[in-house]
Amino acid sequence: MGNKQTIFTDEQLDAYQDCTFFTRKEILRLHSRYHELAPHLVPMDYTKEPDCKLPLALIVAMPELNENPFRNRIVESFSEDGLGNLSFNDFVDMFSVLSEMAPRELKAIYAFKIYDFNVDNFLCKEDLEKTLNRLTKEELTPEEVQLVCEKAIEEADLDGDHKLSFADFENMITRAPDFLSTFHIRI
Amino acid sequence: MTHYSNGSFYNPAYHDSETLELDRRSARMPHHSNPYAQEEPPWQAGRTTAFSTVMGQRGHADHGSRMDPWEGRQEDSRRGQGSLPMGPLSTHPQSPPWQQTPHRSSFQIDSTAYHDASTLSRFPTTFSANMTMGLRGMTMRRMSMFANGDPSHLSITEVAIQNELEHEEQNLVKDLIACSTKDRIHGIRKLPMSYEEKKHIRSQVLAFKSSKKSRHLSCFADCSENVSLSFRRCGSSMALARQTLALWQGTMKEIGGRFGTSVLSYFLFLKSLLMLNIFSFLVNFAFITIPMFAYNHLPQIPANVTFRGLELLTGAGYFNYTVMYYGAYSPETIMGLLDYNMQLAYFFTIAAYMGLCGASIIYSMASSFKMNYVLSDPMAGGSWQLLCSWDFSVTNEKAVRQRKNNLRIQLKETMSEKIQRKGLTPAEKMKHFGIHLGAWFISTSLAFGCGSAIYFLSQYEQQQTADKDDWSLQHEAETLLVPFVVSLVNLVVPLFYSLFNKFELYSNQRRQIYALIVRNVILKMSILGILCYFWMNEVANKFSCWESMVGQALYRLVIVDFFFMMLGSFFGEFLSNVIGTRLIPRLGVPEFDVARNVLDLIYAQTLAWIGIYFSPLLPVIQIFKFLVLFYLKKVSLMQNCQPPLRVGRAAQMKTIFIALLFFPSFVGSLSLVAYTSWSLTPSKHCGPFQGLNNTFSVVELWITDLEGISASTWVVWIYHKVVRSEIFYFLVTIIILFITFIFWQVTQGRKLLIILLRQQIVNEGKDKTFLLEKLQTLQKSQPTQQSRSRIPKQQTKRRSGGSSTGVRSNSNAMVQTFLAGEQGSRGNYSRDVPVPSDISTSFQRIPIASDRQSSSDAPILAMQGRQRAEVHNYSTSSTLANPLVQVMQARQEHDRPSDGMDDGSSSMSGIMMQVMEARKRADEGDGMQARPPATESSVPTTSSALIQAMLARQQAQNEYDDGY
Repeated sequence: MGNKQTIFTDEQLDAYQDCTFFTRKEILRLHSRYHELAPHLVPMDYTKEPDCKLPLALIVAMPELNENPFRNRIVESFSEDGLGNLSFNDFVDMFSVLSEMAPRELKAIYAFKIYDFNVDNFLCKEDLEKTLNRLTKEELTPEEVQLVCEKAIEEADLDGDHKLSFADFENMITRAPDFLSTFHIRI
Repeated sequence: MTHYSNGSFYNPAYHDSETLELDRRSARMPHHSNPYAQEEPPWQAGRTTAFSTVMGQRGHADHGSRMDPWEGRQEDSRRGQGSLPMGPLSTHPQSPPWQQTPHRSSFQIDSTAYHDASTLSRFPTTFSANMTMGLRGMTMRRMSMFANGDPSHLSITEVAIQNELEHEEQNLVKDLIACSTKDRIHGIRKLPMSYEEKKHIRSQVLAFKSSKKSRHLSCFADCSENVSLSFRRCGSSMALARQTLALWQGTMKEIGGRFGTSVLSYFLFLKSLLMLNIFSFLVNFAFITIPMFAYNHLPQIPANVTFRGLELLTGAGYFNYTVMYYGAYSPETIMGLLDYNMQLAYFFTIAAYMGLCGASIIYSMASSFKMNYVLSDPMAGGSWQLLCSWDFSVTNEKAVRQRKNNLRIQLKETMSEKIQRKGLTPAEKMKHFGIHLGAWFISTSLAFGCGSAIYFLSQYEQQQTADKDDWSLQHEAETLLVPFVVSLVNLVVPLFYSLFNKFELYSNQRRQIYALIVRNVILKMSILGILCYFWMNEVANKFSCWESMVGQALYRLVIVDFFFMMLGSFFGEFLSNVIGTRLIPRLGVPEFDVARNVLDLIYAQTLAWIGIYFSPLLPVIQIFKFLVLFYLKKVSLMQNCQPPLRVGRAAQMKTIFIALLFFPSFVGSLSLVAYTSWSLTPSKHCGPFQGLNNTFSVVELWITDLEGISASTWVVWIYHKVVRSEIFYFLVTIIILFITFIFWQVTQGRKLLIILLRQQIVNEGKDKTFLLEKLQTLQKSQPTQQSRSRIPKQQTKRRSGGSSTGVRSNSNAMVQTFLAGEQGSRGNYSRDVPVPSDISTSFQRIPIASDRQSSSDAPILAMQGRQRAEVHNYSTSSTLANPLVQVMQARQEHDRPSDGMDDGSSSMSGIMMQVMEARKRADEGDGMQARPPATESSVPTTSSALIQAMLARQQAQNEYDDGY
């Protein structure tokens, strides 16, 4: 970053600024972070938009994500193929959504994707069980897990289909103001 | 998916049907497209055409790229994000090389008709609403589409969905174009798409913009564009500068990573207060102190007063003669290049600072309130704890483990609460009520007791103090008594208050925290109120330069408070950590008490605000204090504390803290300063306002000066008609009350609306379940229909097989090939006719058939083979017509029930279903119409059967359209 070599053209940086919540400097910092993950794979020169993707295992090893119980799901949700291979653009996208400036609606959409483990567009009981197990180190008994998940669905399910649709989820989030500050990863 | 798309390239029938789809649309569109095209306002028309040229170019590019289907596929999959399952399909025909010509024209018609139709739905006034709706719609559509199972369902509607998506994209781009630059950027940023797509949309918007610009190259537009561009550049560089200035980013990240958002909010609060003080220092220094220095109007320090070191604590003595306090400023107008009236400068600087502070606090309070309070309502736990409580910013391994543990305990607690929640007996209720009442009584009386004690102490101290210049060291040290007592009270009494928690049983934790906060606020405000009363009433009458005395008192309070804050973190955190880890492990490692610490900060800031008038450079001390405090608290936190056990509602607490900063703190100090400047007589012998009745009369004098100057009559007019007139304030109050009332009404209405909408969601859910049940019952009746429809088919197969077993000629192969071709194309759409085995067998047989004719051998030329086989069949064996017709009939029979079935299921709401159905019907129509020419025609050898079939299909299409 410190050297004089151009990483992005001005147009690219403008495009990044217009499409994400980052400034020039942050984009460059993100690039250096991305570069750090795999110095031999990621080129320093991005003016030609090289087609370079990093696998999930490398991204998840970042200190920002390493301890997160949902790290795999986060990366998968932002990857094009759903398998967790992130190009630099996906990488920027991910941190843009997780940044402080991103509005609640945008965060809600991706949070829903993250929690939707089986990618069926609903947070069903199975998803909630997985979430709960990740959040509690799998130390609750199966009955307790069942009970908590049932209660959660019962509480948040507005339309009575015994699973949470995106509308249910969004409704819950608008009533939980902390979400905006907690669904946030500082880079 | 891949299977499907691969098949589709080599399956001519599929291409035909898709072509047909497009043809149909292009044929239909002009009928009802755009009757208003002539009435369009010219600007809009221009825009539309320009837009469609842009789009047209893009369309061409797309078309070009899809000449090679694999190339097209790759590009598509690169461009579309992974969640969209549709790879190679496009709205534009993907024609095999031998069908290129007719398709080109259809594509052209299609694209123009498309754009015409899409312009119809545009209303210039509702752009933003449209856009948000569009965005939402798109989001939902995307959400509902990605990686959904059931490929058969998808493949039917795929083209329709793709169309829909493209349509939405056009609309989106158009809406974005209509927005202002700022809104546009914001809109693009908010799109829930991958970066590539956002960039794509942005480039479309920009391309349109530039094309428009080149068309209307007027000077004004150019200028405005430039100005907006430079504004944008300026804004982004401002953001950059702000980030460069952003203090302690790494520290904040570390704290957030280890202790979570709620503890971090304390540090953020501290940081914002620090910024406020830096701003205040800069303003005061620039407009009050620098002019004093610049013209060397420094106060004279008496010879017998020297710097002794104790001044740093007491602020008295030597400091009394520096620019630190009010008394050192002179009232003269400084003559230079410009006259600089110190009195006015002093007054307006402080007024402006207070005004700006108030505005910024109100703004942040309102936005925080809107964000965190308006829509939130208490939810007991469960789902919230599960889905919204995880703090993504926590990155420390230990903290994560601890947090998981805490969450587990909390969940267990909520579960047990839910299980054993029982009502309290009246006796218990009375007991609780009594305890609350007692606690409140004790705390309030304690607060007032402390207040009065401090009043008497200050009175006693003041009697000891003489109004003279040289103080003995001991005397100077004695002045520290009052601040010491005040700070001690502030430290000890809150600890006492928190003991109440042991006896008081609150139903939830939040109420307990609120009670604690309210008690602490009452204590602090009563102490400060008493002190202010004392300063205004007693100090103001006794001392010759009373403003400086008050300034000194505030200085001492600030300094001693600083030491006590440090002591507090030592005792509160370090000692309890030692006790908790070494002596009594039962107590455990302490938590960081956010509420208490934030209240301390608010108290400190109140002191600084009150002092701004009496000691303009007090913010320097405050800046120093907050800086040290930040690092101290950080170290103390890292060393002594553990992450909070409970996941509190940090965001709401933040709002409450800002509100507290505004209401008792800021409003109190503002009213105090206002009272001082309006009602109290400034000291006669020192300070900028000496010799005036009150501070505000500076403005009156200035106005009388201005009355002589004709150029500034408007200032005089404003002063007389606005500032000094009661009617103006009366009117403003009335108007504000009126507006408040209207907004209150609107709020009530919205609340009602929210309730209704929630109800509606519930009702929709009920509808959905009802419809699902209906659908299920329908599906239960379906299998019988399906089995019925299968029987004749099997029979026909058997029959045709039986009649031609002896012959086993190529004719049979032909029939099968034909059927397989039809069924193959159909198999992709409908779930009830899967015949992969037929395809394979027929393709195996085609070579045999063509071998017999010995004209061609390659299976790729199956078409020719088929055709020749046909000819051969009809010329040689006429007996075959019989089974063929039978097959045909069977097929028709089979089609009919399936048709009926579709009708039955079409009761399901949704356009998609209708599209599906229409598609099916079209295919069936095709099938029925396509076969007769094949069987009846004498088949001239020159024309290929395929083209004939195509023509027939078009004919069928026309009929179909007419039927509609």
